Amino acid sequence: MGISDGIVQGFAVALDPVNLLYVFAGVLIGTVIGVLPGLGPTATIALLLPLTYTIEPATAVILLAGIYYGSMYGGTITSVLLRLPGEAASVVTTFDGYQMARQGRAGPALGIAAIGSFVGGILSVLGLMLLAPPLADLAVSFGPPEYVALTALGILLVTYLGSGSPLKSLSMAALGLLLATVGQDPITGTTRFTFGSVALFDGLDFVAVAMGLFGVGEILHSLERTDKVQAVTRRIRHIWPTRQDLRDSSGAIARGSVLGFVIGVLPGGGGVISSLASYALEKRRAKDPSRFGRGAIEGVAGPETANNASSTSAFIPLLTLGIPANVVLALIFGALLIQGVTPGPQLISEEPEIFWGVIASMVVGNVMLLVLNIPLVGVFVQLLRVRAGVLAAFALLVTMAGVFSVNNDSFDMWVVLVFGVIGWLMKKTGFEPGPLVLAFVLGSIMERAFRQSMLLSGGSLDVFVTRPLSGGLLAVMAAVVVLSLVMARRRRAAFRHVEPEGEADLGTAPTPGRDTRRTSDSVDTDVPSAPGER
Amino acid sequence: MSASPPAPAPARHPRSARSELRRLAPLLLLALGVGAVLVGRDMGLGELTAPGPGLWPTIVAGLLIATSVVLLFLDPAEDYEPWTAGTARIVAGLAGLALFIVLFQTIGFVVSAFLLLFAWLRFLGGESWRMALVLAVAGAIVLHLVFVVVLGVPFPAGPVDQLLGG
Repeated sequence: MGISDGIVQGFAVALDPVNLLYVFAGVLIGTVIGVLPGLGPTATIALLLPLTYTIEPATAVILLAGIYYGSMYGGTITSVLLRLPGEAASVVTTFDGYQMARQGRAGPALGIAAIGSFVGGILSVLGLMLLAPPLADLAVSFGPPEYVALTALGILLVTYLGSGSPLKSLSMAALGLLLATVGQDPITGTTRFTFGSVALFDGLDFVAVAMGLFGVGEILHSLERTDKVQAVTRRIRHIWPTRQDLRDSSGAIARGSVLGFVIGVLPGGGGVISSLASYALEKRRAKDPSRFGRGAIEGVAGPETANNASSTSAFIPLLTLGIPANVVLALIFGALLIQGVTPGPQLISEEPEIFWGVIASMVVGNVMLLVLNIPLVGVFVQLLRVRAGVLAAFALLVTMAGVFSVNNDSFDMWVVLVFGVIGWLMKKTGFEPGPLVLAFVLGSIMERAFRQSMLLSGGSLDVFVTRPLSGGLLAVMAAVVVLSLVMARRRRAAFRHVEPEGEADLGTAPTPGRDTRRTSDSVDTDVPSAPGER
Repeated sequence: MSASPPAPAPARHPRSARSELRRLAPLLLLALGVGAVLVGRDMGLGELTAPGPGLWPTIVAGLLIATSVVLLFLDPAEDYEPWTAGTARIVAGLAGLALFIVLFQTIGFVVSAFLLLFAWLRFLGGESWRMALVLAVAGAIVLHLVFVVVLGVPFPAGPVDQLLGG
């Protein structure tokens, strides 16, 4: 099937009334939780996983994808108006967006962010359409050794590019791989680590683990902070940017689209890194870099474009190789597995309605977001009146009811509670749950591929090096490890470069959001890491 | 679940002892890794030519051991968050959630959901009595309607649940 046939089929799926409703629900929920500081896209998608059981696979992914890129739009609003990033990728927007708002230019800042996100999203969808089919064709020739190398590369990149210390992330990834082995051996059927418990024969339930670590863990973690959020009462005018604004930011939007697309495709990429990279690029290219941090519109347009572009292109590795590039995609991967669909190179040919339907829904969703955001910003801002305690109570209750509905078994509620406590303690001790869940998802793929490779090669580990593709991937891994040692020093310098003059007081600002605080931490300390996906 | 979480440290703890306490996390991971290796060896490692069920768990447990040993000595301390008075609120919230699950199993959804919401909103959220009452009643009924009536989830039946239908 050619690309044009695929696009036609995709729009037929995306424009189906039911799917239209779910795209709309997805982008609306995404925008709302992007605005609400206590709840990020990861937590929301984890909480909504049980809901996706009952709907068609394509519709489920359309909904979850909508939440993901919708949150990228929503996070901008609070960053600009309150210097309170609703989700991690919007931290950079606070630098110049908040300054623009203080100068009475909140409208254009939000407008250009919405337009930039739209352009970045659409360009990225086009790139996805062109790049994914040939990549999937290439991936069909992948054997088990390639999959071992690919999953290992994915896990390694996520640990290096995610937030927090790479070593701790690697440790969590190892724990995730170990947890994935609980249950029956995929080849011999021997039970492993079940300790005689029948409930564990099928392994730990992915939904319960994800809902516990991300949903409950994050809500508990946010309960400890009692940040007060003041409501924005003044009206926001002139949302549509002037011609001068558009001219100033068109370059930034174009560069942000390309940069975001490329970073999103890489495992471990996604929102935060792409927006940071775009900000650094714009500042470096500017004739007068001192304007940055004082309300430069390019400093809003570039990063906002890049984070939306990357959230779209991050679907490429999932839909073509079956490897989730970041934690949000790992959750979507899990949602598909539950539906009995294994994402991979065959997805395009075997389940074209999922592949093309999801892509086409992204076009529809981005149009909806543009239409929603420009006139309704004032309405979304009012959401900040919802108090964190109310949000937490309802989110937890929905989680508990939702996880019960998966298997109609109250045992799962206890699993969620236990993993919620673990997730909260991990956050307290600086261990990121992201690599754990990603490794948990990839663990069984990796083990099966490893054992098949061993059978294939007659027990020789050379097979990973001598095959050109897996050898190449392993060379990339080696390069990543070596580079990361060099980069650890340079990354710190790069953050200094990104840091605008006014950023030093971010950590002590009266209403610092969690992510603001985390960023200024990683600027101030020696930890060689970027703030990452939550 | 073989991983038990590290016990929460008491909020007021001497500074020096607390800095040692944070080593609990890598120690726990180390213990977990060693345990997994021992169990994995019993399952049978097999050969590389014919991998047994225990081989892969042993490999990843080895990675866990290696990283946790390095973490014992080289752990950047900056990313540990201090224990605050808020920690007590979380423990209270957790106890509430556990109580909710127990109640849910015995007296159904509506009453336990109301109690959870009301207690949480009033005592953890700091809402007024009236606000907490209104939100809790409305929330319990709406969620019952969504889950039981619309989605058809078979919650354990309770006294009030049957009045509301489903």
